[in-house]
Amino acid sequence: MTGLSELYFNIDSGYLEGLVRGFKGGILKQNDYLNLVQCETLDDLKLHLQSTDYGNFLANEPSPLTVSVIDDKLKEKLVVEFQHIRNHAVEPLSTFLDYITYSYMIDNIILLITGTLHSRPITELIPKCHPLGSFEEMEAIHIAGTPAELYNAVLVDTPLAPFFVDCISEQDLDEMNIEIIRNTLYKAYLEDFHVYCSELGGATAEVMCEILAFEADRRAFIITINSFGTELTKDDRAKLYPRCGKLHPDGLAALARADEYEQVRAVAEFYAEYKQLFDGAGNNPGDKTLEDKFFEHEVKLNVNAFMQQFHFGVFYSYVKLKEQEVRNIVWIAECVAQRHRAKIDSYIPIL
Amino acid sequence: MGSLFRSEEMTLAQLFLQSETAYVCVSELGELGVVQFRDLNPDVNAFQRKFVNEVRRCEEMERKLRFIEKEIKKDGIPMLDTGDNPDAPAPREMIDLEATFERLENEMKEVNTNAEALKRNFLELTELKHILRKTQVFFDEAAFLQSAQMHDQPRQDEAQTLLGEEVSQAGIPALKLGFVAGVILRERIPAFERLLWRACRGNVFLKFAEIETPLEDPVTGDQVNKCVFIIFFQGEQLKTRVKKICEGFRATLYPCPETPAERREMAIGVMTRIEDLNTVLGQTQDHRHRVLVAAAKNIKVWFIKVQKIKAIYHTLNFCNLDVTQKCLIAECWCPISELEKIQLALRRGTERSGAAVPSILNRMSTKESPPTFNRTNKFTAAFQALVDSYGVASYREVNPAPFAIISFPFIFAVMFGDAGHGIVMALFGLWMVIKEKSLIAQKSTNEIWNTFFGGRYIILLMGLFSIYTGLIYNDFYSKSVNIFGSAWQSNYTLEDIEAHKVLQLCPNRINCTNLAKEPIHMDYRGYPYPFGMDPIWAISVNRITYTNSYKMKMSIIIGVAQMLFGVMLSIWNHRYFKEPLNIIAEFIPEMIFLNSIFGYLCVLCIYKWSVWPGDDAACAPSILLGLINMFLFKYEDYDDENIVCNQKTMFRSQQALQTLLVILAVLSAMVLLLVKPLYLRREHNKKLAIRSIADAVESAPEVTGEDVQIHDAQSRSSADPSPSGHGMDGEEFDFGDLFVYQCIHTIEFCLGCISHTASYLRLWALSLAHGQLSEVLWTMVLHMGFIFDSYAGAFVLFAVFAAWAMLTIGILLVMEGLSAFLHTLRLHWVEFQSKFYHGSGYAFLPFSFEVILDQAQASDHEVH
Repeated sequence: MTGLSELYFNIDSGYLEGLVRGFKGGILKQNDYLNLVQCETLDDLKLHLQSTDYGNFLANEPSPLTVSVIDDKLKEKLVVEFQHIRNHAVEPLSTFLDYITYSYMIDNIILLITGTLHSRPITELIPKCHPLGSFEEMEAIHIAGTPAELYNAVLVDTPLAPFFVDCISEQDLDEMNIEIIRNTLYKAYLEDFHVYCSELGGATAEVMCEILAFEADRRAFIITINSFGTELTKDDRAKLYPRCGKLHPDGLAALARADEYEQVRAVAEFYAEYKQLFDGAGNNPGDKTLEDKFFEHEVKLNVNAFMQQFHFGVFYSYVKLKEQEVRNIVWIAECVAQRHRAKIDSYIPIL
Repeated sequence: MGSLFRSEEMTLAQLFLQSETAYVCVSELGELGVVQFRDLNPDVNAFQRKFVNEVRRCEEMERKLRFIEKEIKKDGIPMLDTGDNPDAPAPREMIDLEATFERLENEMKEVNTNAEALKRNFLELTELKHILRKTQVFFDEAAFLQSAQMHDQPRQDEAQTLLGEEVSQAGIPALKLGFVAGVILRERIPAFERLLWRACRGNVFLKFAEIETPLEDPVTGDQVNKCVFIIFFQGEQLKTRVKKICEGFRATLYPCPETPAERREMAIGVMTRIEDLNTVLGQTQDHRHRVLVAAAKNIKVWFIKVQKIKAIYHTLNFCNLDVTQKCLIAECWCPISELEKIQLALRRGTERSGAAVPSILNRMSTKESPPTFNRTNKFTAAFQALVDSYGVASYREVNPAPFAIISFPFIFAVMFGDAGHGIVMALFGLWMVIKEKSLIAQKSTNEIWNTFFGGRYIILLMGLFSIYTGLIYNDFYSKSVNIFGSAWQSNYTLEDIEAHKVLQLCPNRINCTNLAKEPIHMDYRGYPYPFGMDPIWAISVNRITYTNSYKMKMSIIIGVAQMLFGVMLSIWNHRYFKEPLNIIAEFIPEMIFLNSIFGYLCVLCIYKWSVWPGDDAACAPSILLGLINMFLFKYEDYDDENIVCNQKTMFRSQQALQTLLVILAVLSAMVLLLVKPLYLRREHNKKLAIRSIADAVESAPEVTGEDVQIHDAQSRSSADPSPSGHGMDGEEFDFGDLFVYQCIHTIEFCLGCISHTASYLRLWALSLAHGQLSEVLWTMVLHMGFIFDSYAGAFVLFAVFAAWAMLTIGILLVMEGLSAFLHTLRLHWVEFQSKFYHGSGYAFLPFSFEVILDQAQASDHEVH
């Protein structure tokens, strides 16, 4: 696509963009959350959700509701919407949408491998996988004993194969290696997606590169912070940083040298937007955790994606926003179900 | 004044319902369906209301009913829809209903689990049966192959490569293959095969065969296609791996004996077990069927009952509790004419519930604008809907719908003027009207059909009016019909006619000459064709020029008449809302403005038609130029001999009259702009002066100015309870706003008159387009069928007619019809209604079981 992509955008993707913008209009507002946190029981929650865009999605569930049922139904709704869009999409949007599912596929693979490692039966693990990231060979993952086997037998036919090439060297599937595989996969995925979006050009590149850069940087921060006190060497750690963010290359080099939280924070000082996030975060009660801060920033970026027209970023942003909304509702539902209202307000408002 | 002319008079009323009678009373009101309840606790969450538990119980019941309905539909049992409408059951009956549904649901679930287990068993056995049958074939083939290999050594390599390197090197005697057999979904085969190959590095041999008959999935009940497969491998390690893969692909593995004899024995065993299972399954199905048939008889009634209960509790949630907690207070809008019936319903409700204290209905006065309630019947409903889709009339405003009943089809027909097409359309409308009942009973969910069906009376009227205008235009499928005999004759000789392609008929009464310049008798018979257009025009070359001139003027006259009518309707609004100022400052100047320019234009049109006969038609002046000159004040002398006759004015004192009219128009525009705001400002200033005097007299030191104003406003509002009054009373008076508003109104009206008049020319344009299009269809399509002289022409005509008929219906009736419909709608909404209609009201939505049930049914249809 050239600089005139806006001219042709509506021919192929105009309907879907309109659709997704319509869906976005149904995202719960601050007002809805205020009502939701007042709920006494899950049935109250159901009653209120009925008056929103979710409509009757719980109408056919028998009465003692559980959080997991709500979670499943929320996800199901998102998946139905996504599949509808995916089914109507043509190139290059269809590839773009496929890219969105890859991250869920990575999560599913890791979940299944970890599950198998702890010798859980595969039938128990499958329902826990995210439906957006399911693929045919998924259920056969547990035959693999080593990454090489995993690649050769299962993943070689999936779209994730090119991402996996870097992981084949790992010898054994243990906890540590699984984490490394996850992060390597994710790194390869993010970088590839980043390249793909830049190739698309136009507003898509503008919006998506921003979001993906943040995603990459967030991973780099989190990997660094989580690696303290583990046996991961600094060199190995540096290999896991996705190199498509704003931290690349100087910030990543600095992160690679970090030994403790304060040093990470010092790196963030050099970047205006990350400085803010680190400044606002804390572990004391009443403070927001760094993770929440990151989520908030992600939500902001995703909401901003809707400010521009004629680009694919809205599809990505919609899925991410909806995912956040599902997390919010499940959090609230969990708080309501466990009668643990102290932290019920730590959801992340979207609009 | 009929109820169609204005919306119904409404009143706000307060209902005091004793707690024990409230349910029954609301139920009675729901059956009546003339009361709109107001939500008295709009800021209370849905789940914090009083009757939320009851609503929730209803939803639970609905869920159970939906579950049972789904099961009934799955079995294809017809659900009895007797169309009877049970009353909402008493609250205590709700428990019975709940118990019934609970029992039914549990029974259904139990039957389903049993059936599912049985079916699963059955499925396993069937799969095993297929496996035994198909594997037999595999083994037979293998045996055949082996024996062939014995005899045919050279083929050995070829056959063995499938089993991989090591095996072929190990040679046949060491070959001890294990195998597993199972069943897998057919669509998973390719991925399964690929993964097996990769994971076992090609060291397994997979063979599969399709099961021809689809099997039933016990959980979903869907029919699925499956395949039998058998995998040969060597060694334990491969075995576990193969089994893991099978598990991953949800293939079911079955034990399969190694020797043929055992297999046969097993097959026999399986067959007998299948037989047994079939009987049990049949019994389970019978039981299920019996339960469902019993439920199917009642399910519609149950649905209605539950929906009614739910609606009642929803309504009760709108109410307030009074301080003593003994009674519920509801507020509602209701038409004044129905108050008696409502009282009666309340009394009935009180009696039914056996309460001692009656429910009380109390009328309240309010400053709020009541909802607009136009009573409709099946004929007027469609026209009212057309008006309402522009904007619901303000309360008690003049309703344009009754006028639209005639003007809408008429204006449509002006654009759609063809008697032939009109007949088709009218017949279609008539069919829908006659078949009304049976068509309604079909309950179609097709949106397009429902739109047409909803407008059946409009279609019928549009068709009838099109026949009329078609006769006026003398268009019948684009051909003219000579009913009364043309008013023209030809005095040309046969030779003249043969020699010339085009000949002129002489319209004059005197001085007619033939081609040889000899005087002849005139070609015009002296009296016009009695009805509509003379058919002679159909064969003339200047037909279009003639009809254009005629239709253009006619459009202007019709348009100005409709606009004038609109302005005149506004006087009923002004008088009803007691706004004499609006009559003087708006209605009168508007009338003068419109009449002095466009009314005058129409007069000129008619004058021109009637004054210039055929003899001096060349002297008829152009009206358009005349109108332009009227504003430029450019006139030629009427008596000046040197001027070409068609440049003269039409009559002697035209100059003076036109100058006067222009001045009047300008003056009335000024009046429209200035009088109202200036007058209101003066009134306001007067009031201010009086108030300041009063303040000076009354003012005590401790009372601040604000207090006085509030007090003042209250005293005045209590003194003047009429809802509208003079709009400015007690409100902020902002001269700037008012002036700008009036300015906009003036500009809108004056420019609107010009642009709207021009807009009515679409009548001519569309009518021309329609006529031309149908003529094109005639000459380019149907005409082709007539040019053959031989009998073959009949067959050609047969085919051509089909094409012509399709095109006529598709393009001329449907597309042109829709286009003309839209233009008519626009003319009504914009050009006509803008003259008097505000449309800023809101519709009356009564609480009515009928509506609620219809909606539930519609959404039900949408889901399925």
